[in-house]
Amino acid sequence: MIEIQEVSMVYPNGVNALKQVDMCVERGDFVFVVGESGAGKSTLIRLICREYLPSKGSIKIHGRDITRLRRWEVPMLRRNIGVVFQDFRLLNNRTVFENVAFAMQVIGSSGRDIRRRVPEALELVGLSDKAKMKPLELSGGEQQRVCLARAIVNQPLLIIADEPTGNLDPKTAMGIMDALKNINIRGTTVIMATHAKEIVDTMRQRVVVLGGGRIVRDERRGEYSHHGC
Amino acid sequence: MSVMSGGGNTLIMAVRNWVYYIKEAFSSIIRNGWMSFASIGVVTVTLFILGSFMLLNINVEHLTSEIKNQVEIIAYVDEGLVVDEVDKLRVSLIQMEKVEEVRFVSKQEALIRLQSQLGELVEGYSEDGRNPLRDSFEIRTIIPEDISEVAASLQAMPGIARVDYGTEVVEKLFRFTGAVQWIGLAFMIGLALTAMFLIANTIKLTVNARSREIMIMKYVGATEWFIRWPFLIEGVFLGTIGALIPVVILSYLYGQTVGWAKLNLYFLPLVSPEIVIEQMVRTLFVLGTFIGGVGSLISIRRFLKV
Ligand SMILES: Nc1ncnc2c1ncn2[C@@H]1O[C@H](COP(=O)(O)OP(=O)(O)OP(=O)(O)O)[C@@H](O)[C@H]1O
Ligand SMILES: [Mg+2]
Repeated sequence: MIEIQEVSMVYPNGVNALKQVDMCVERGDFVFVVGESGAGKSTLIRLICREYLPSKGSIKIHGRDITRLRRWEVPMLRRNIGVVFQDFRLLNNRTVFENVAFAMQVIGSSGRDIRRRVPEALELVGLSDKAKMKPLELSGGEQQRVCLARAIVNQPLLIIADEPTGNLDPKTAMGIMDALKNINIRGTTVIMATHAKEIVDTMRQRVVVLGGGRIVRDERRGEYSHHGC
Repeated sequence: MSVMSGGGNTLIMAVRNWVYYIKEAFSSIIRNGWMSFASIGVVTVTLFILGSFMLLNINVEHLTSEIKNQVEIIAYVDEGLVVDEVDKLRVSLIQMEKVEEVRFVSKQEALIRLQSQLGELVEGYSEDGRNPLRDSFEIRTIIPEDISEVAASLQAMPGIARVDYGTEVVEKLFRFTGAVQWIGLAFMIGLALTAMFLIANTIKLTVNARSREIMIMKYVGATEWFIRWPFLIEGVFLGTIGALIPVVILSYLYGQTVGWAKLNLYFLPLVSPEIVIEQMVRTLFVLGTFIGGVGSLISIRRFLKV
């Protein structure tokens, strides 16, 4: 589903964040991207949702090279990718329901679809009873669930999460991981960058280890596998 | 399933989106009450000055062409000439190449004209038959700019005592009005740019306040135009309202001015309101909309970078 081929990323300031990265993700995969700070995890995530263009190489999603999209095609790509951030990025003056509905509204969904799918998404992340509350009335874990609901409400093929548990205590973090696993089981591909060793160890999923901008290890459910496609 | 899948009935979606854009635009205008007010104020002041200049310009132009058409040469006839000779002179004047029209003004006629202009000041002259004036020809050239050349050749003609025309005044006036128009134009362009800059900054504040919303919109795949429309509508609306105020005020003031001038400055040929106001209204509305629209597009550009 995702083919990353010989991707290098040099930022305008000269930092070489990724060097010749090859990586393949199958549909329905759950992939952790780990590595020390500055290894290039966030950069990789940003390239996949086409926040930046790589300096070299190609990134194919469903066979389509997203580094060659036209400007107006980028939003169409994003509709198929749900993004979750470490710092939530919710609209604090709107309710939980409105925050999730916002993602549907701005791509032109009908009120009927919104009323049907937002509660479904909230139920999936276990927040049905908090729909009318504002983000600042929620705990960190609950806020991150709202983000998760917002990321899945448009039924994307892929969820990418950059340290979604970074601001949460371990127990709350596991709750988020359960929700993510739930989403993954329903067929959505998940790519998640994280520092949290305990999470990676308990989840027993594929782990891609970045070091100094290169893939230094790629383990599939405990066993070593060849990276690349 | 395709990466690029869209969906939904396009017409229904378009209507739904427009409802959203307009709602967003107006709620933003209300939320940013003071800034909206300031933007309207800026456009109003700018367009008010612009509009005033325009009215002035149109009238100066009108006045110039009016004067151009009125400039004529007065050639005074030698006193000794008899009627036949005067008539011959008239024919040879008419046959001159650059001359459009020749009119004979007898000294009696000239006196009557003077009396009607100056009233009792010259009373008394006609009664005792003394008339200090001379017979003359009023000559109009085909193009006003030829006037000095024609005047010079008239001066050399036998039977003509003296030639009069307002060269210096006329030429100075032409130069002055030309300058006024250029300065006015430069001034207007400067003002329009200033207004656009101010509107851009006003809307930038709105955009700044909503940068988080815009960022989320981009992440979930809202199109650039979906993000842009509410701001564009906001800018266009502020610009239009900003134009409406000076349009109303200037139309009223101009009507009053022309009315007053008719009574008190009857020699000043002002362009009638019906003609000018339509042109001014159109220009100000187009400019207001343009300033508001372009201003808002400028302010949001930075935020749309992927
Ligand atoms: N926008 C940017 N402009 C310039 N350099 C950047 C930018 N973002 C990241 N970098 C640099 O690229 C390198 C990789 O950064 P990246 O954010 O991908 O690391 P990371 O693995 O996500 O680290 P962390 O675990 O701390 O989040 C770092 O050296 C960083 O300084
Ligand atoms: Mg990072």
